[in-house]
This record gives sequence, structure tokens and C-alpha cells, in this order.
Amino acid sequence: MAVDVDKCTGCQACVLACQVENNIPLNTQDRFERNRAISWIRVERYWEGEFPNVKARFIPVLCQHCENAPCEPVCPVFATYHNAEGMNIQVYNRCVGTRYCANGCPYIVRFFNYWEPVWPESLRNHLNPDVTIRSRGIMEKCSFCVHRIRRGVRKADSEGRALNDGEIQTACQEACPTDALVFGDMNDPDSKVSEMKKSDRYYTLLPALGTSPNVFYLAKIDEDREVAHAGAEGEAGDGH
Amino acid sequence: MKLTRREFLALSGKATAGAVIFAACGVPESELIVQSPVDLPEDLVRGEDAWYATVNPDGRGGDGLIVRVMQGRAKKVAGNVDHPVNMGKHRVNEDAALQMLYHPDRISAPLFRRTHAGQLTETTWDRAQTLMDNALNTSRLTVVTNPLRGHLGWVAQRFAQDKGGRYLAFDPVEQGVLHGAVKTIFDADVLPDFDIANAHTVLSFGADWLSGWVSPVRYGVQYGKLRSASERGYVIHAESRMSATAASADLWLPTRPGTEGDVALAVAYVLIEEGLASANEINAFTSSLPNGILNAYRPGDVAARSGVPVEMIMKAARRFGSSRPSVAFGGGSAGAHVHGSFALSAIYSLNTLVSGVGNTGGVKLNPDSPVAGLSGSATGASFEQWEEELAQWRAGNVDTVVIRGADLVHGMPDTVAAREALQAVPNVIVFGTVMDDTMAEATLALPEKSYLEDWGTDIPEPAPGYQTVGFQQPVVGPTISADETGLLADARSFGDELLRAAGGELGAVTMRTLVENTASDLFNESRSSGSVTAPNVQLFRSGTLQRGGWWDTQATGPSTSFSFPNFIRGKTEAEFSSTSALGAGIDLTLVPFVSHSLDVGRYAAAPWAQQVPDPMSSATWAVWAELNKDDAKSIEVGEGDIIFIKSVVGEIEAIAYPHPGVPPGTVGVPIGYGKQEGGRWAEGRGENVLSIIADQKDEETGALAWAATGVKVQKTGRRLKLPKFEGTVEAFPIEPGVPVLVVAPGETAHEAEEANHHEYQKLFESDETRAEIGRDSIGDRISGSDGAHE
Repeated sequence: MAVDVDKCTGCQACVLACQVENNIPLNTQDRFERNRAISWIRVERYWEGEFPNVKARFIPVLCQHCENAPCEPVCPVFATYHNAEGMNIQVYNRCVGTRYCANGCPYIVRFFNYWEPVWPESLRNHLNPDVTIRSRGIMEKCSFCVHRIRRGVRKADSEGRALNDGEIQTACQEACPTDALVFGDMNDPDSKVSEMKKSDRYYTLLPALGTSPNVFYLAKIDEDREVAHAGAEGEAGDGH
Repeated sequence: MKLTRREFLALSGKATAGAVIFAACGVPESELIVQSPVDLPEDLVRGEDAWYATVNPDGRGGDGLIVRVMQGRAKKVAGNVDHPVNMGKHRVNEDAALQMLYHPDRISAPLFRRTHAGQLTETTWDRAQTLMDNALNTSRLTVVTNPLRGHLGWVAQRFAQDKGGRYLAFDPVEQGVLHGAVKTIFDADVLPDFDIANAHTVLSFGADWLSGWVSPVRYGVQYGKLRSASERGYVIHAESRMSATAASADLWLPTRPGTEGDVALAVAYVLIEEGLASANEINAFTSSLPNGILNAYRPGDVAARSGVPVEMIMKAARRFGSSRPSVAFGGGSAGAHVHGSFALSAIYSLNTLVSGVGNTGGVKLNPDSPVAGLSGSATGASFEQWEEELAQWRAGNVDTVVIRGADLVHGMPDTVAAREALQAVPNVIVFGTVMDDTMAEATLALPEKSYLEDWGTDIPEPAPGYQTVGFQQPVVGPTISADETGLLADARSFGDELLRAAGGELGAVTMRTLVENTASDLFNESRSSGSVTAPNVQLFRSGTLQRGGWWDTQATGPSTSFSFPNFIRGKTEAEFSSTSALGAGIDLTLVPFVSHSLDVGRYAAAPWAQQVPDPMSSATWAVWAELNKDDAKSIEVGEGDIIFIKSVVGEIEAIAYPHPGVPPGTVGVPIGYGKQEGGRWAEGRGENVLSIIADQKDEETGALAWAATGVKVQKTGRRLKLPKFEGTVEAFPIEPGVPVLVVAPGETAHEAEEANHHEYQKLFESDETRAEIGRDSIGDRISGSDGAHE
């Protein structure tokens, strides 16, 4: 998945679309007060500068589906593993709730169900039948809307054709008004996401940790920023 | 090979991760492919789903939606890719429609009481219809709805007219000033479209167009295109609050409230003075303005009045004039002042100076509605009209009021005492899904269908530059109650009920008939350029429902510019309600703003709308007050302190949230909270900022000047933890560019990362007190006064 930070307006459409699609429990007031709200994708807001030259920066953060995922080797029951499509998968009925994976995740995108999820009976009408409701004691996180991928693949199979680029959209991507989020096959050199990966603005979160995320970002553009001075790279290299 | 420290760390990390994997497990790599042998629900395709297209007649902008339905239940709302307004995208409160549909506190049956003093008790629809018919036969009737452009609005208006009554629309942040300015400058009766996607420079004032103003999804889609254009567009936004739009802008002009018009004319002054506009453009702009009038708007003078540094005004003006195509627009708080009409006229007039009207990247004037008799525009009646109407109610001159989609008690300032006015009307008939403050005053409360269960149409405003009509259809039928003894809500369509009560006088007996007749009329026009073509009317109707509407890209609006009249008449200085008699506290200007999720309270009953974090504060579930950090310090207030906000009308309490983006002298409070009724998730949640708005009006339109209230802010001495998402994820001060990497145009991410890292290291080296103050303090200095997302 590609995230173009330059397009994110912080509107939270992705956050709620994910919540609806994936049967995430209601984040009631007390959960926010205890810092235990569950949000598979979140929009972080950072301040930069002082008034009146203050800027707010937004960045959507979700499971990075790392190639070298720190959450995977620490799970004693293999509840989280890497599948053949490069996704970091959470098997709910294996999870025993050690929370080692959450401790190991440097992006803090894994969420523990401290309580049994509860919806008033009438609201259960809108729950998505494609997605498991996680019980108390289970870890959960972004699945890249794997159920949508399954539907998309089977539809293409049944029609005897290959998947088209952009045919499968995650719920967050579908909602995002500015198209800041783009999901696709990075093994397909012609996909939009592969094209975006070639951008000069490409970067990943916390690259020094060596997690090799499958989510990458395109940097925010700011005309007020001075262009890096020549030789900065060399000097930095010399210094360390 | 020379390795940088970062590259070395990256390699070390990978090597360590690999070592952990293989050393800890001691098993061959192949055995670590632990694909689950069990199929989870996510791995299965569980039944067929169907997606139905519809529109939300109550939504701002007229977005087209599609709804996923499985086994008769609505599961997901998404944007309709076909629809030309929102092009497949949607916003947070459109998801909330599902929770309004299946809300456990939906009114399940009609409720009745004989007098206002009695208790509402359940009754049957037969009896309710008899009571309604009797009440409607009285001679003095008023029908009230939210602003509606489609057939629902048409039915309400025609019904009131047919019964000899009055029709008024209500919107707490009505757009009358905006419509007035558009009429003045463009001679247009419907709002124009702004070609943001193709503009090189966007200059906006007051309107939080990326969050909640007019057509936020459409504007968001266009913003995305503007940012990805080969020549990346530049956004300048002037507003007295750092909204999501201000935060997304390249240049934010933090204006003092009520000075947006001054800033607009300062921009005009610069364009003319520096020759950034052609002689023709200057002539078109100045032809009707008094000679020398712009001398009162020199950038230096305006900087002093508006608080915007002069260099920012100059930068904005030069960019707007030189990097074309440019478009200027405004609204929201910029027009909610005593001289709001002047301000918005000044803002829209700027388009003349850049030849922006009718051209790519500028203002596209919209055509009239494609449906005969349906207006393509709707706004609330002015506050002045409402004061007159409520005076009639209080005087006992109105026998029956029918209300739908308008929470007058919550939305009106306390100065007009809407609750007491309603109590003076013998028959108050209110349609709704979940109880609200106005329905609580009803003598007859009637359960209304959700828009997902009903028929209708909507003419989007603004249209996308050509004629468009959205079609609304029921995507689900009535829902069985949880105990399976009946329906979740035995609801009826508001439109159907009025048509029934009209006894066929309005030419149709159901909303469905009106929708089908509209499709037939469009079919009979036989427009080959329409979005749906079919060999017969039945297929045409099906086609319009499948696509969620009908549009004709060839039926565009006028492309000629209009010579506007003089809009600068007399004083233009901002005026605020007095605070001199309000006792202790600091003097601030109240800046109410529309919640991006609750809107003006319409979606407050939905827990999803309550829980989604505000873009700037990340606050949820509670009313917060955005304070400037220095202002907060002056009254010894920090985050979590409860403060009094007092105006000449009354006072409310809110939880303080100081942040670096709040202009000095202002306090921002979200609209939409403070409902006394509204179901389990909305009742009693915070206090209502609309209640303390002072009785000031735009001098030309009589609209409520809802951003012109002076307040005193004082500490209560009590504290509460602000429920917010910020803090859920712990953040640590780290070097700049993590996680939001910022590059200059042409700079690569790698160059920026290296430069940031170099700068960070230099700070360590130069800081002699590093050992004493510790790493965190250095980190704080780098990432700004507040550090990162805490």
C-alpha cells in the first residue's frame, strides 16, 4: 500500500470506513479515556513551528505488513504469520493473548481486546458477515481487508481472468476522498502502487529498524522548506 | 563502500531480525510458513451481496452513495463511483447512516399527548393520521424542514402553500450570506462549482471546505487531483481557526475574526498595484467600486487590522495573481459576521481579477435544475425571518407546526427561546428517527423512515458544472425488532404522509410516484447526452436507479462573467457582542465551527459520529474548547481544565484544549454537542455552543452572525480528562522527518532524510547543556513546542 502524505487532509474517512468494514468494537468514551480505543488505521497529527507560522501535519498509520515483522517471531502460537501474498496475517482462533506481538511492534498498530465487544442487538444488523468478531483476549490489527481480496480473487477466477489493478480496494482506500491511499500488487511492475514506489518522495517508517514494511509513504511537499544543501549526505556520512 | 549511520542501522536491524528468527526457533525456514489450516470468515465468501445506489437528501453537497445489502440488511455505505459529485468517495457521517437506520433508540411507533404538559404515549398510525389531519385543517400552519433541494423539499413547500400556510427551512449555519454574495457577484441563483482540481492557486476564506463546508467530499476529491497534478497546486487559506483546511493549506493566513473581507481586498490592492492583473481585469473589478476605495485596504493597514503579517498577505496576493489559473471562494465563519455579505462579496469578486469566471481552474457557474419545478438551491430562512416566525408562535398566531429534519430547540440561540415558542403552538407535529430536543416538545411525534428506506431525489448543490439529479430509492425494507415481535420502527415517509394528507392535491400520492414521474419526464426529453439512455421508459427508470441519478455533461451553466455592483457600502469593520458586563475572565472571540462528524448535531445520535476523532484535536465524545497557549496560560488553564465561556446570552462549560494553532484572542468550540435528547449516545453530552450565540445579524441578509460573539473565558477550577485519540499511541521525541517526512519541491525523500539527520546531529553537538537537560528536551526543541503526537 502506498500512502501519499501530501494528499492527506486528516478527514478521518479512512478511520471510520475501516471501523465499519471490520466490525471494530464501538470506541466508547471510557476507552478513549483509558487509551484503549481500537483503530486499525489512525491519522496522527503533528505540530510544527510556532504561531503564526505553525503547521499541522497528518499521516495515516496502519499495520505496515513488514517483511521482517517483529511481531511474528515472538508469537508463541503462530497466531501471526506472513502469508504468501506478503501480508501479515492474524489468526484469531490461535491467539492466546500474550500481547508479545504488540510489545514487539514499533509502529504500535496492534490492538488488544480488553473487553468482549458489545453492540446493542439492533446494531448487529449492520455487522459485516465477512469479518470475524474478535472476542475478549484477542489481538487484532489491519488485515488489508483480506476478505475483500478473497472476494476479488474468486470473482476474477470465476470469470476466468486475471485480477485488474485497482479492482480490489481496501475500505480505507475506497473512502479516502483525496486518493491518498493506494492498494495494489507490488509484484506487478505496471500497477499504480509499483509506479508510486518509484517516486522520489518514497520513504518508509522507521527504516533503521530493518522491518521492510509493505506500506510505504510519499513525503509531504512544502514549498517553505529549504532544499537540502549540497553535500549534506556526505557530511552526515562522515560524521558517523 | 561507505555506509551512513542510518544505512548501517538498517542493515544491522535486518541481520538481527533474521538472527532472532532462526536462532530462537531452531527449525528449518520452511517450517515457519505457518499458513492457517483453518478457514476463517475472512477466507470465505459468505453469500452474495448487492449494492444499491441512492442519495442522502439531508447530506451537504448531494453525494451519490451505494449501499451494500446482504440478506436484507444494509452493511456498508460507500461513495457512488458513477456519481459526478463525489466520484466514489464519502465522508464520516455518511457511514453513520447505518447506525441511524438500526439505532436501538429509534422511535418505534407514533407518540401523542393532548397538551404540552402531558406525557408522550404510544398510539397507532391510524389514530396518529386522524390527529394529524385534524391539526392540518386549522388555518394557521407552518411547515419547517432542513434545507431540501429535491422532491421532499418540493412536497413540503407545496403542502404548506396548498394549506395556506408558510414554509421555512432551518439550518443553524445557514448559507444565506453565501447565496447572497454569489448572487451579487455572479448574478447566479445556485452555488457555482470551483474547479479546484485544475487550479494552480486556490485562495479560500473562512470555509473549512475539506471538512464540513458545502460539498466537502467533492472538494476533497478535487484537492487530491490538485496535489497530484503535474504542476502541484498551491492552497492559501484565510481563517480565524486552524481547521483541517487551514492545516492542509500551503499557506495559512490566521485572520482575526471578521477581517476576511479586508484581507481579500488587500489581495486585490496588491494585484492592481503590482500589475499582476491585466487592464481589462482591473477595469472589470473596479468599474463599480468608488474611486480610491481600495486605499483603505493597503496591505500594511489590513495587516494591522487582521493580525495577518504583511509579508503573508503579499505572498498570498503575488501567488494568486501570478500562478494561474486561480480561484477564490469563501464562506463559513468569514460570512457569519455583521458585515458578512461585504466579506463574501469581496472574496468572490477576486475571481474577476484573475479572469477566473467560466474558465478552467476557476469558477464554473452552474445551470438550473434539470427537473421542472425543483429548485437546485436551498438554504435556511434568515435568522431575522425566524425571529419573526417564532414571535408569531409565541403570540398564539400559529395553530399547527409540522417539523422534519430541523432541531430548532438545539439549533437556535437562547435569545429566541425556541422551546417556549413551540410550547405556545397547540399542535406540534414532528417527524424523526431518534428523539431530539425539538421532538421532545411535540404533541405528535411520528417515526420517520431513514433515507435508506425511502424514495426521493436530490439536486446537488453545487452541481458539478452541469445538470445533475440524484435518485434516492429504498435499499432495505423495514427491520424486524430485536425481540422479533414487530418492527424496529414502524416508520413512514414524511413525503408520503404529506402527500396523503394533501389528498391528491399535489399531483401524486407517494414519493415513489414523484420519482418515477421525474424519470419519465427525463426520458421524454430524449437527451442523447444524458447519462442514461434506454429504448423505453421502464428501462430508463431502472437505469437512473442503478446509476443513482441522471446527469447531462452538455447542459452546463453560463460561461460569461457578470459585472458586479458596488458591494462596499459604509463601515466594514468587524463588530462583536459586548463582554463588558460579563464579570471576570479574559476577553476572547467565540469561533464556533461545524463538527466534521456530527455536522450541526444531525448525526449526534450515532456512536460512530461521536467516536471519530476531530482532525485537529483528536477529541471525541465531549465538547472541547480550543485556546491559544498564551491565552490559556494567562488564566492558568491547561488541557483538561473545565472553563466557563460566557456571552451576553448565557454561559456554557467546555474542556480546555490549548494548542499551538489557535490564534490569540479566539476560542474555538465545535457545534453539534449539547443535545438534551438524542438517544443513549447523544443525550447530555457536553453543552451547546449555539445556545450562547449573541443576537447579531448580517446587515444585508439578516442571517445570524454566528461568529461575532464576544465572550469571557474563565477557569472553573474543575478538571476532566478530555477523551481523545491523541495519547492512545505513545510517541517519543525523535528527529525531524519521522514519521512525517517533508520535502521541498524537487528534493528527494533521501536527501531530506539525510539533511534532517545532519541537522539533528548538529544540534546534539552544539548543545553544551545536553548532558544536563537530557535527550528528550532536545527532541522537544526539534519537533516543536508540543513534541509529536503524544
